Amino acid sequence: MTDVASRIAANRGAIVRNQAFWGVIAIVLLLAINVIKDPGYLAIGYNDETGHLSGNLIDILRASAPILMIAVGMCLVVATSGIDLSVGSIMVVAGAVSMELLRGMDGTAGNAALTLAIALGIATALGAVNGILVSVVGLQPFISTLVMMLAGRGIAKVITGGQNTTADNDSFAWLANGYVVGIPVVFLLSMAIVALVWVLVRRSALGLMLEAIGMDSRASRLAGVKRRSLQLTVYSASGLLAGVAGVFATASVMTVDVSRTGYQLELDAILAVVIGGTSLAGGKFSIGGAVIGGLLIATLDKTVVFLGVPASATPAFKAIVIVVLCLLQSERVRNLFRNRRALRAQSQKEVVPA
Amino acid sequence: MTGAPPIVEMKDISISFPGVKALDEVDFRLFPGEVHTLMGENGAGKSTLIKALTGVYKIDSGEILVDGEERRFGGTADAQAAGIATVYQEVNLCSNLSIGENVMLGHEVRGPFGINWKATHRAAAEVLSTLGLDHLDLRRPLSTLSLAVQQLVAISRAMITKPKVLILDEPTSSLDANEVANLFTVIRRLRGQGVAILFVTHFLDQVYMISDRITVLRNGAFVGEYPTRELDRTTLISKMIGKDFATLRSLGSERQSHHYEPRGEPLLRAEDLGRKGSTEPTDLELHQGEVLGLAGLLGSGRTELARLLYGADRPDSGTVWLRGKKTDIHNPTSALGHRIAFSSENRRDEGIIRDLTVRENLVLAVQAKRGWFRPLTRKEQDALTRKYLTELNVRPADPERPIKFLSGGNQQKVLLGRWLATEPDLLILDEPTRGIDVGAKAEIQAAVAALAAKGVAVVFISSELEEVVRLSDRIIVMKDHRKLAELENGPHVTAETIVAVIADEGDDEEGDTE
Amino acid sequence: MRSIPRVARAFAVTGALALGLAACGGGDDDTASGDGGGEGGDEIVTVGFVAVGPEGGWRQANEANVQDTFTEEAGFELKYAPATNLDQRSQIDAFTSFVDEGVDVILLSATEGAGWEDSLRRAQEAEIPVILVDRGIEPDDTSLYVTRIAPDNYEVSTSVAEWAVSAFPDGGNYFVLEGPAGVSVVNERNRGWDDTVGAVPNLVKVGAQTANWSTEEAKSVFETVLRANNNDIQIVFAQNDEMGLGAAIAVEEAGLTPGVDVQIATIDGTKPALEALAEGRLSFVAEYNPLFGETLLEVVDKVLNGEEVEPYIVVPSETFDSPEAAAAALPDRKY
Repeated sequence: MTDVASRIAANRGAIVRNQAFWGVIAIVLLLAINVIKDPGYLAIGYNDETGHLSGNLIDILRASAPILMIAVGMCLVVATSGIDLSVGSIMVVAGAVSMELLRGMDGTAGNAALTLAIALGIATALGAVNGILVSVVGLQPFISTLVMMLAGRGIAKVITGGQNTTADNDSFAWLANGYVVGIPVVFLLSMAIVALVWVLVRRSALGLMLEAIGMDSRASRLAGVKRRSLQLTVYSASGLLAGVAGVFATASVMTVDVSRTGYQLELDAILAVVIGGTSLAGGKFSIGGAVIGGLLIATLDKTVVFLGVPASATPAFKAIVIVVLCLLQSERVRNLFRNRRALRAQSQKEVVPA
Repeated sequence: MTGAPPIVEMKDISISFPGVKALDEVDFRLFPGEVHTLMGENGAGKSTLIKALTGVYKIDSGEILVDGEERRFGGTADAQAAGIATVYQEVNLCSNLSIGENVMLGHEVRGPFGINWKATHRAAAEVLSTLGLDHLDLRRPLSTLSLAVQQLVAISRAMITKPKVLILDEPTSSLDANEVANLFTVIRRLRGQGVAILFVTHFLDQVYMISDRITVLRNGAFVGEYPTRELDRTTLISKMIGKDFATLRSLGSERQSHHYEPRGEPLLRAEDLGRKGSTEPTDLELHQGEVLGLAGLLGSGRTELARLLYGADRPDSGTVWLRGKKTDIHNPTSALGHRIAFSSENRRDEGIIRDLTVRENLVLAVQAKRGWFRPLTRKEQDALTRKYLTELNVRPADPERPIKFLSGGNQQKVLLGRWLATEPDLLILDEPTRGIDVGAKAEIQAAVAALAAKGVAVVFISSELEEVVRLSDRIIVMKDHRKLAELENGPHVTAETIVAVIADEGDDEEGDTE
Repeated sequence: MRSIPRVARAFAVTGALALGLAACGGGDDDTASGDGGGEGGDEIVTVGFVAVGPEGGWRQANEANVQDTFTEEAGFELKYAPATNLDQRSQIDAFTSFVDEGVDVILLSATEGAGWEDSLRRAQEAEIPVILVDRGIEPDDTSLYVTRIAPDNYEVSTSVAEWAVSAFPDGGNYFVLEGPAGVSVVNERNRGWDDTVGAVPNLVKVGAQTANWSTEEAKSVFETVLRANNNDIQIVFAQNDEMGLGAAIAVEEAGLTPGVDVQIATIDGTKPALEALAEGRLSFVAEYNPLFGETLLEVVDKVLNGEEVEPYIVVPSETFDSPEAAAAALPDRKY
């Protein structure tokens, strides 16, 4: 019996790995479709005019940066069996704060740094409010963060007076548009942040604690795990990461669009986390998987444009790709087919007495 | 009984899982109107045999005859449709639904406008009353019931289809004496009606109380089928574990014989410790190196008192002095900081974290105590895990296996390891031996005795009075959420003494089983 | 995925209900004074404005202009109800509550063209005149509303198309950055452009994509479009200023020069767009004049006096085709 157990255990591990694996397959397939349309799709060139590397892959990496940030934050929250619906709204708040501050300042690097600190500080504070509502007040994560999702966009409108605000600051824009030795800064930054989070979570005991809370919060409480402070930490972290995403998104055009910036990106983040093999029920999580999920979504967005899918068909196209992917990932769907066949074979043999 | 043909007959059943033969040519017969007990240590193949019968597992060879016809079921539901109902050890009910809904789930009485709730509840009430549960309010959510009563509700649920065969997989593991007696009354009535009952339990006493026939399995192999009256306990146990009883006996501790005299200042002293609705204000003293038994029926407030000591629930009255200093223990984290550890009676929901590995489960409390920013290195974790897996004889000793794949006894040992790893001065064990096999039980008892010898204070809670008496230096008897008496243990104290204390209270409750 | 916006809608409904309740109290007072009638000639006219809310510079200017026109000094009480995140549901709720409280006239800027029939019919039954501001409805049933006042999208986008034809006599490849699919403005602006450019064979359409009126999305979309076409695009028709500015950034990042390698034409004529035109980053800006509050005021007065008005009143718009023209217009630009 014990060996059955180990076999199941081994299989489960493989499936979890498989989920992210399907994400990779999907990315490869999408890229392949693009290559069929244009054999030079994957080429990365050196742009003489601008002096940095350029190519579709580079574009995907840049476009994925904000999604990666919120997906990683979401991943931590989901691990505790929570959810953060407010990341898109926190993005727009961070963007609104940045643009509003920079608009009234000189375009110096110092001002950019100051603005960055304030914007990220406010984003973290909003995340902490989520954390307090969930851990101390004891509201359901869905409700707490839904409130913040609605309030956040309202706050952004108040900050900018309801307008889309534009500002100029080359240092700030460099965060999203700059290059270091030909590689986009925004990609380097997002990778550095992902790596930092990974080290923080996996090299400390934070990951184990988060999983324990997500799997069984009563048992972990009795084991001395500090649920409240950990929840506060992850929601704050999710807020901070959403703030970074908001800075990336607005800095790339130096404009905050209060009704569009980060709009519904929380759904992309949740999708990325799920594609990466983390269950929304909480527990085992995979930051690497969330990164793959984020990259997949960015690839999908870019593919839609590259293929020239008509604007009205775009949502359907994306939905189909994602539904197929989720079906492939689902253990149950695969089992369903297997069981059907087995049952049919069995019922033919069996004579049921009336 | 002997004249009738068996209603269930399993012949030469074999099931292999990769690398192991889970069942090896096992025979089993079940007659109408008998209670047949399946005995064996955990991992002997009892559950596998039941699952083979109900079709949860597919058999590799052999045949299953029901009413003389060869059958293969597709699962529990399929088997139930054919009159074979199963109640599993772990309660599988929906705790947020009402009692009535749980009993009738999937069997609601339908009328022209969907479910006829009135008729449905009436049907539920009927079934519950045959189990002597008439007093339950059908509309209360299941979650308001104790685990024990939930178990009875689960049995009621199985009875609504009026099965010919009822399989009870460790139904008594969370019941107290009263409830067991209650259940047995029902089982006897069903037996009288000709229902065949397959019963799995770890409690030897109960086997002899209820069972007509015993089938013993060991390591997936068939040992034998015996009429209960022809098999004495010692023989039964040695057939189950495959060695003779003397060896087993030596594993257990005989703490009672060397009574420990507390000296000096108590490790923990509580005055008026209580919480509204769960524990009346209680005084308590605990010394280093002593085992304090908490005895009483289920629901007497043993668990609640233990939870207050650990800060799992917050006391709203009383003062606690720890090592002579007034101390506020308001949550588990602070308790662990004060070197107090607590192992919950609810192993599944409050003990193990199912999806984590043995190692992760074992180091969790130590790690939580250190804080997440001071992680144990992998080397330290491995060393800790290896130490306790060996010390407590956990099988299989594979630290990277998810704990849910271990047997109950081994899960309990890992949990004990988790708390020992925090190096507690006070260890509170709530039902650490419930629902685990004889061998593991003896090992855990031995471990408790060894801890006390090392100077750890232990609070030991168990429904098995024999066990409390054997292990404890002092026994607090509880009833109705308050301390009834405190007994110095000694050769004169037996389980009957405690039963007498509880019964003496003047109430007309039956605290007795045999 | 749809469930979340639905919950958001639930909140919007709750908000609208609260608004309706609050407004009901006011409505009673109005009726009372109306019944009392004839005491004073300076009766206040209640105007319900079902607005779009934050969308971009153009909308901001337009709605501010309406709010500045219908002031208390001018004898109006304007109830401004912007949509929640451009959601039509929240607009319908606001519209319904205006009908229920019995305002004197309703101004409607619909976020989406379709699905207004029932609401408009309710207003008709309550004898409340509805004036469409800027956005039309689909199908365009003129019996359901009094008049529509707007700059003509078709005309404006035709002017952009005509510029493209004259500026590229040798032809070229063009790309269209559209607003959200299905919105009437988008359809009208597409038609105006296609009717003119479609007849010119050497102007070749390489594609069209939505960028949801957003600078950020337009930049991301256009950078990929440039790659997909090896930078071989000469003309961009951006259906609003924001998207045009996003395209300009994408062009610059590709190492090209906007105005030289790629010429970008936009509609709206907001200040940032005219500034960009003055710098040469944009090549053509067609104004879609938002400042028609005065015209609107006149029409409202006429309607309330029972006079006939045209079913469609076109607001005249300008075009700017050179940096100089933009520079000249900038100092007076109000939005």
